[in-house]
Amino acid sequence: MRALLYASTVAAMLLFSGCSGTGPAIDDSAAATNQTEEINIVDENSAADSESGIESTNLDSAGLTLESIEAKMLPIYFGFDLYKLTDEDVDTLRQNMELVTSDAQEMNIANKYSLKLEGNCDEWGSDEYNFALGLKRANAVKDELINEGVAAERITLVSYGSSNPVCAEKTQECWSKNRRVDFKLRP
Amino acid sequence: MRIIFGVFFSALLLWGSDATIEVTKSVDALPSIAVEDASSDYNDGLSQRFYRVLVSDLNVLSIFNVDRDYVNAAFSDENVADSHKEINYVVRYQLVDNNGEMVVDVKLINNNKVMHTLNYRLKNPKQYVFLVHTIAAAINDFMGADPVDWMKEKVIISRTTGPRRSEIMITDYTLSYQFSIKRNGLNVFPKWADNTKKYFYYTDLTTGTPELRKHGVYDNSDELVLRSDGMLICSDVSDDGNRLLLSMAPEGQPDVYEYDVVSKKVKRVTNYSGIDVNAQYMDNGKIAFISNRFGYPNVFSKKIDSQATEQMVYVGKSNSACTAHGNYIIYKARESSNAFSKNTFNLHLISTKTDFIRRLTVTGINEHPLFSRDGGTVLFVKKYKNQSSVGVIRLNQNKNYLFPLKGGAIQSIDW
Repeated sequence: MRALLYASTVAAMLLFSGCSGTGPAIDDSAAATNQTEEINIVDENSAADSESGIESTNLDSAGLTLESIEAKMLPIYFGFDLYKLTDEDVDTLRQNMELVTSDAQEMNIANKYSLKLEGNCDEWGSDEYNFALGLKRANAVKDELINEGVAAERITLVSYGSSNPVCAEKTQECWSKNRRVDFKLRP
Repeated sequence: MRIIFGVFFSALLLWGSDATIEVTKSVDALPSIAVEDASSDYNDGLSQRFYRVLVSDLNVLSIFNVDRDYVNAAFSDENVADSHKEINYVVRYQLVDNNGEMVVDVKLINNNKVMHTLNYRLKNPKQYVFLVHTIAAAINDFMGADPVDWMKEKVIISRTTGPRRSEIMITDYTLSYQFSIKRNGLNVFPKWADNTKKYFYYTDLTTGTPELRKHGVYDNSDELVLRSDGMLICSDVSDDGNRLLLSMAPEGQPDVYEYDVVSKKVKRVTNYSGIDVNAQYMDNGKIAFISNRFGYPNVFSKKIDSQATEQMVYVGKSNSACTAHGNYIIYKARESSNAFSKNTFNLHLISTKTDFIRRLTVTGINEHPLFSRDGGTVLFVKKYKNQSSVGVIRLNQNKNYLFPLKGGAIQSIDW
C-alpha cells in the first residue's frame, strides 16, 4: 500500500510540473514485486508518527524513494525578517520541480501524495511573529508553485519557527541556513 | 519600624503610580534581613536548598538588603546568631519530617523579639519551593509591601531540547521546581487554560500539522481543540477562561482569531494580507496585537468587533511581541540597526494614557513578556550568551532578576 502511495506522489509531481524527462529504463516487474510486498508490511501508524511520514524503502530498481528525492531538493533561503522570493529563489524552485519530475518519470508511479512546505527561522526570537514569518516564507513558495502550475490543494504548509535549525553555530552564515523553506513529500 | 516601612512604601507607591516612570532609590536605605536554618531533619541537602530559595525570594521582594551567609541556629533560641546582631530582621525556620510530611515553622525576629510566626504542613516535600515562595509572600505582606502573590504561581514553559524536540514543564518563577509533563515530540506555546491551572493549552507540531490541544495537569487528559494548516497558537486566554485569542493561518495568512470555549466557534478578528499575531486581551473589549501592516512589525490595537485599528507604538523599527494589562503595554523591540548585535531585543513599557516609554531590559534577546495578575511584575524570557533564563521585573521597585535554565532553551512561558 505504501508503495502505491509513493507511486502516486511522484506521479503527482509529474502533474505539478507538466514537464517530461529522461532517465534510465525501469524494470516494471521489479517495481510490481516490491509493491506487493509493501502491502503486507505497511504500518500506517508508524508512518504517521515519523517526522515526515516517509520511511526509507527501496521502491524501484534505481533505488529511488520519496526520502531520496527530498534529500535532493534544495531549500529556499531568505534574508533577515524577509519572506519575498528573489529571481534566484524562483530558479531554485523550478530546479526542484524538474528534479522531482525527472525522478517521477524514472519511478513511473501515480498521483496521491502532496507537497509539504516547512517554513523556518533563525534563532533570533522564538515568539509568534517568528512562527508567522516562517509561515509567510512557506506561503511565498506555495504561491510561486501555484504560478508554476501546481494545484493549490496538493500543497500544505507548516511553520516551525526557530525550532528546527539545521545549523547551531553562532555565525551569520549559520543563521542564514536556518532562514529557509524545506520541501517534503507527504502522504 | 513597620510604621517607617509604611511611610516608605506609600511614598514609593505614589511616586510609582505611573509604571512608565522609573523609580530610582538607594539600596542602602533598605533594612537588612538574614535567614537562620534551625532544621535537624532533611540533612540530605533539602534544608540548605530551602535556605537558598528563601534568600533568593527575600531578595526579589526588593524591600530588604539580604545577608546571604548560611547560618544554623536553635529554633527556640531567644537571641539571633552572633553574626546577625547588627541585622534588622532575621527569618528563622525549622523543617521537621513528620512521617513523610514536612512540617515548617517560621519566625520573623526583630531586635531579638518574635514579630511574626508562620506554620505550614506540606504533604509532598518535593514541592517545598512553592512553600518557600508562600513564606516569602507572607513576610512581604506582614511588612506591608506591594503584594507578591505572583511568586506562588505555577509557571509553565516549553523547553527546546533539539531540532523539532521540546518538552513542556511545570515550574516556579525561579525554575527551582521542575516537573516535565509532556516529553516527546514538538510541543510549544503552553498557555494556562484558566486561573485554576488544572489544564493548559499548547500547540502540538509533532505530526507536522499544527494542533491546539488541551492537557489536564492532574488527570493527564489530552483533548484536541483545533487543527489548522500553517500555524496555530493560543496567544491569550480571557480572565474567565471562556475565550481564546489565536494566531491561526488556515489559508497561509497569519491572522488573529477568537475561539469561544463554550460554543466551540471560531471568529476571525483581523483580516490583513501580511502578518497579524500575538493578540492580547486589554480593557474595554479591545485587543493589542502585532502586525506588519506598515512594513515592519509593530503594536496595534482594535476592538474585537470593529475593523478600525490603532497604532500603539511610534518608536522602534521592529516591535515583534507584546503583552497588555489594563492601560499598559510591554513590547519587544529590536534596538540596534545591526540585527545581530549584542543588545538586539529589549522590552519597553508604555501607557496608553501617556507618551512615556520606559526601557525594561538592557542586554540580550528579551521576549515573551507577561504581566502578573496585579500588573506590578513582569515575567519574561532572556537569551544571552547561549544561556536561557526566566526574568522577573518588579516595575515599582525598578529591579530585574534572572533565573537561568540548565540545559536547553526556553521557547515560551506562561504563568
